[in-house]
Amino acid sequence: MSSRQFLASLATVALMALFGYGVWAVLGTLQSRANHVVDPVQSQALLALPGTIYLAQGGSLYSLQGLHFTRLNTPPGNWVQVAPATGGDLLAVDKGNGYSDLYLLSPGGQVIRTLLQESSPKYFDNHFVYYPRVSPNGQSLFYAWNWIDPYANYNVDFEILSGPLSSPGSSTTVWSLSNLYYQGGDVEPLPLANGSLIYVKYATDTSTGAVYSQLALVTSPGAQPQYLTTPAQNCSEPALNPQGTEIAMICSNNQLQTSTLDLASWNGSSLGTLQELSSGPMAAMPTWAPNGQSLIFMNVPERALPFQLYWVPKASSAKPGAPQEVTQNLSLTATSAPVWYP
Amino acid sequence: MAAGTRPRRRRAGLSTHRSSFSWGRHPALLAFLLLAGFAVSGVSGAVAYFLPAVTTALHVTGQKTTGHGGKATHPGATVTPPPPGQPFTVLLLGSDNDTKFSPSSVLTQTMILVRVDPATHHAVMLSIPRDLWVPLSTGGSAKIDAAYSYGGAAAAIQTVENNFNVTVNYWAWIGLGGLVGLVNQLGGVDLLAQMPILDVQYPSDLTGNNPYANQRIAILPGPQRLGGVNALTYVRSRHGDILEDIARGQKQQQLLVDIKDTAKLMNLADIPRIASSLAGEVRTNLSLSQISSVTALAHDFSNGDVTQIVMLGSDYRSQNINGQAALVPIWPAINSLIAQNFPPG
Repeated sequence: MSSRQFLASLATVALMALFGYGVWAVLGTLQSRANHVVDPVQSQALLALPGTIYLAQGGSLYSLQGLHFTRLNTPPGNWVQVAPATGGDLLAVDKGNGYSDLYLLSPGGQVIRTLLQESSPKYFDNHFVYYPRVSPNGQSLFYAWNWIDPYANYNVDFEILSGPLSSPGSSTTVWSLSNLYYQGGDVEPLPLANGSLIYVKYATDTSTGAVYSQLALVTSPGAQPQYLTTPAQNCSEPALNPQGTEIAMICSNNQLQTSTLDLASWNGSSLGTLQELSSGPMAAMPTWAPNGQSLIFMNVPERALPFQLYWVPKASSAKPGAPQEVTQNLSLTATSAPVWYP
Repeated sequence: MAAGTRPRRRRAGLSTHRSSFSWGRHPALLAFLLLAGFAVSGVSGAVAYFLPAVTTALHVTGQKTTGHGGKATHPGATVTPPPPGQPFTVLLLGSDNDTKFSPSSVLTQTMILVRVDPATHHAVMLSIPRDLWVPLSTGGSAKIDAAYSYGGAAAAIQTVENNFNVTVNYWAWIGLGGLVGLVNQLGGVDLLAQMPILDVQYPSDLTGNNPYANQRIAILPGPQRLGGVNALTYVRSRHGDILEDIARGQKQQQLLVDIKDTAKLMNLADIPRIASSLAGEVRTNLSLSQISSVTALAHDFSNGDVTQIVMLGSDYRSQNINGQAALVPIWPAINSLIAQNFPPG
C-alpha cells in the first residue's frame, strides 16, 4: 500500500468515526424542545404592553417594558414572589431553607428595607411569609404567615395577618378564624378600600376527600367570613380591578388538571355570575392593567408546557378579547401574580 | 476521450502485476465496503446513544415476580399477562427507600391499583392506604405496606390479590430518587396544587447523612410548575393534611396523570436521558415491548378517561393495634368499591 493509499484509508476511517459521532450528536439534538426555557433577558415579548410589568422566574425578578426584559438587581436569593407596594416600589419574598423573608425593594431591585425576617436559629421559630399586599390607603401590610400550634407541631396552616407597613412586625392583627386545622389555611389577602378583606380559605371535606378553596369576605379581624364562591367552583387568586367593580379569579371547578380565568362583577359585598375569560388549561394569577381595561395572567400554551404571560384585551367589556400570548420559551413562576405599573 | 473507453489510472513507478490488488478495478466492492463502514459507524453512534437506555431497560424491566433474593417464596403470586386487547391491572408500588431501611426490606408507602380497559378507553386508579391492617401472604396480619418488605413484589401482589379479590397482571416499583429524577428529566410537571402544603417535620433524607433529619417545607396552592424534589414533596408530605395518608394517595394519582401528560411531549431521543434517572430506582415485570404498548395506550387516553379513587372514612375505621395506628378495613364497603371498579376479566 502506498503512502497515499494509506492516508486515504486513514482519512476514510476518520470520516467513518466522525460520521458515527455525528449520528450520536444528531440524536441528541432530536430531544424534545417542548420544555425549552430561556432566561427572560435573552427573550423578547411577542407584544408590547404599556407600562412596566414585574415577574418572577427561577428565583429572580424581572421587569418587562415594551418587548424587553431586564433582570432586577436584587441581592442573591430565591425571589419567588413580587407584589405592588407604594410609590412604584415593590414587595418581594425571598424563600430560604425552611423560611421566607419579606422585603421592600426599589423598582430596580435594591433592598430599601427588610419588612419581615422569618428565619431563626430556633427550628420552630422559623416561618413562611407569602402573598404580601398593601392596603389601598398604603398604611397596612397584609400577608399569609404560617403559625405553629403550640400543642401540635404538625398544625402549621397559613393565617392572614396585618401590620403597619412602616413596621409590620411591631404589631400584628390576626384576620383568620382560629379553627385552622390541617387544611392549608388562609392565603392571598386582598385588602379593600372600605377596610374589609377578601382572602382565600382552603378546606377539606373529610367525608368525600374533596379539597377546595373559597373566596371569603370579612369586615373585621377574626369575623365570621361570608363566602363569595362555592366549594364546587373552587376559586382562588382574586384580583380586584382599579375601579373596584370587578374581580378576576382562578377557578378549577374541582378539576385536578385544569383551571380557568373567571371574572365576576363586585358590588362591595357579593359577586355577580362568573364569566369565563380563559379556559386555561392552567390559568393562574390574574393582574389588572393600571387603567382596569385589560388584564394579564399566567397560563400554559398546552398541557405540560411551562407557564407564559397572557393578556386579555378589553377584559372588563361586555365582549372581552381572546387571550393573547405575551411571552414564549419562559417558565414564569405561576405562584407569583405579576405587578403592572403605569 | 472517445466514448466507451474507460480511463485507466496508473502511477508511474507502481507495479501493475495482475496479481496485485487495485481498488480501482473493484469499484462496486469499494462502494460496498465504504457504505458498510459508514453504516457500522452510524449504527455504533446510535447504539452508543441508546446504550444507557438499553442497559437500564434490561435491568429494570421484565423482572421476575419473586420474593427478596430471587426466591419464589410465594408461588401463588405468578402474574399472568392478559390476552391482547383485554383489560389488565397494574400494581404501582412506591417506597421511601432512604437509608433508614435496608434496600431489601423497604415498605411500600404507595400502593396504587390501576385497571386499564383498552376497549373502553378507561382507566381506574385506586390508592390502597399503607396503614390498612390485613392478613399478609407471608403469614400473620400487619399494615399492608409491610408485605413488600417481607416478601418483595410477589408478597405485595399476593396480599393485594388475596384481600381485594383482584388479579394483578403487572407491577412496577419506584423509589424516591426515581420519581425525582423522572420529573426532572421530563423538565418538570404542571400541577394544580390542591391546597397549601406546609410541613415542619418533612423528612430531609434525600441528601445528607442523617435519614432522620427533618426540614420545613412549603408548596403554595394553585397552578404551578414543579421540579422533581417539589413534586416528591407534594405527594409525600402528610403531616399538614387532615386526611394524612389518604390525601397522599389523591395527590399521587394526580401527579401520575400530570406525568402522563408531560411524557406525551417526549420522543425517542429523550429516552436515554430519562432512563438514566431511573437506574436502580425502578423495577417492573413489564417487558420492553409491553411498556411500549402501555405507553402508546396511555398517549391515547385523555384525562377524562381516568377515574381516581381513594378509600375514605366509610371504608375503614382507625384502631390502635399493637401500638400501631392502623386502619381496619370495612370489607363490605371495600368489596363494593372493588366490584364496581375492578370487575373480573
